[in-house]
Amino acid sequence: MEPHVAFRHEALLYRGMADFLNHAVPFIRDGLEVGEPVLVITSAAQLQALRAELGSDAGAVEFADMAEVGSNPAWIIPRWQAFVDRESKNGRRLRGIGEPIYPERNADELSECQWHESLLNLAIDRATPLWLLCPYDASALDPGVVEEARRSHPLVTEGDHRRESDAFRGLGGSIVPFGVPLPSPPAIHQTFAFAAPDLAMVRRMVADHAAQAGLNEERKDNLVAAAHEVATNSIRHGGGGGVLRLWRDARSIICEFSDGGHIDDPMVGRQRPHMGSAGGRGLWLANQMCDLVQIRALPHGSVVRLHQNF
Amino acid sequence: MSLLRAAASGERPMAGWLEGESMYADRQLVIRHTIPTNGLSFAGTIDVMNADQVAAALLSQLGEGQPLHLELSRVEFSDVSGIRAFVLAAERADDRSRIVLHGLPALLQRVMIVVGWGDLPSLEICSCGTE
Repeated sequence: MEPHVAFRHEALLYRGMADFLNHAVPFIRDGLEVGEPVLVITSAAQLQALRAELGSDAGAVEFADMAEVGSNPAWIIPRWQAFVDRESKNGRRLRGIGEPIYPERNADELSECQWHESLLNLAIDRATPLWLLCPYDASALDPGVVEEARRSHPLVTEGDHRRESDAFRGLGGSIVPFGVPLPSPPAIHQTFAFAAPDLAMVRRMVADHAAQAGLNEERKDNLVAAAHEVATNSIRHGGGGGVLRLWRDARSIICEFSDGGHIDDPMVGRQRPHMGSAGGRGLWLANQMCDLVQIRALPHGSVVRLHQNF
Repeated sequence: MSLLRAAASGERPMAGWLEGESMYADRQLVIRHTIPTNGLSFAGTIDVMNADQVAAALLSQLGEGQPLHLELSRVEFSDVSGIRAFVLAAERADDRSRIVLHGLPALLQRVMIVVGWGDLPSLEICSCGTE
């Protein structure tokens, strides 16, 4: 394929480890041969297999475990941006392999991974010469997940064939998942309509909810800090207040904030704050302090769900 | 009224600190002058509601050529805007008039690091913790 002079976002639909290696190893080697920096973010097992196949070439590759780097899928884009910022000098081409979705992801994490994939089309400047290969194990994942990969990637490779995806939503359509409502919660423990004077109560309710679920002090405090920031956003930008709902599922406690405001920037919470800027830190903090943060911009307002695993 | 008094029991500042007059008070926060001189103690909550006032209070106390010591062990909660008040003051300070944070709650230290304020030249975190 001709060298990539712009952002190339490609899904690789593979079947099993051998097929993955058949694609990933040449992809990496071709890049190393022409001096292109390479970052690979995938599972520990795949990293191990790649290192074995690459032998001494492995030393030139940057590896990272997706279970760490992308445990919260909102951390993945900042990682790619740091890679681009650090390595792209004088228009040097870059390569990456990023596999956010693996079978162990739960439904909410999966939803955020899928939104992350779509958001990549908007997050990475079109002129960035990064060739990003996103592997999907079609032999292990739900067909619906593979179909969504076709919708979020302009290019799809399967076996020996690389082609433009007929199902791709397009650049403009890449924002669509941001506006899809989140699934209804099973049973709500508490609901609380809050305004400016109620921030201390919001913190107390979140802290109690966390304590009841057995979260340790640090994780409880982290969640409370995040909750305060999100509630503050509702007060300042969401029309003076919002509604807090608390519940739990099999693995985490959830704090949901909804308000009547409109979130303009789909990248909110995924950009490391700059010294000078006044805003945007609250959701960045939430993403660092919580296991998962879901943000949606709906016709009637915004929703933010904070998940903290117990 | 004595300018030097220990706070009522249960509300003490850290050992070695004595509190003087209140220099700012609102429904959720009291800031007092302290001994050692050029110090302030904070008790309560700092957030969007009073962060601007806290920043103004800090700026008014920045010494020329001496550090400003802040006793924070009784800060129940501070959000990012509250921490930013300290950062803004530190940006106006220099090494000689740097701000030193004492008894900084662990959560606030984590927030500072995560938001990118963990390494500022004029904002020192004293290792004399509350724990």
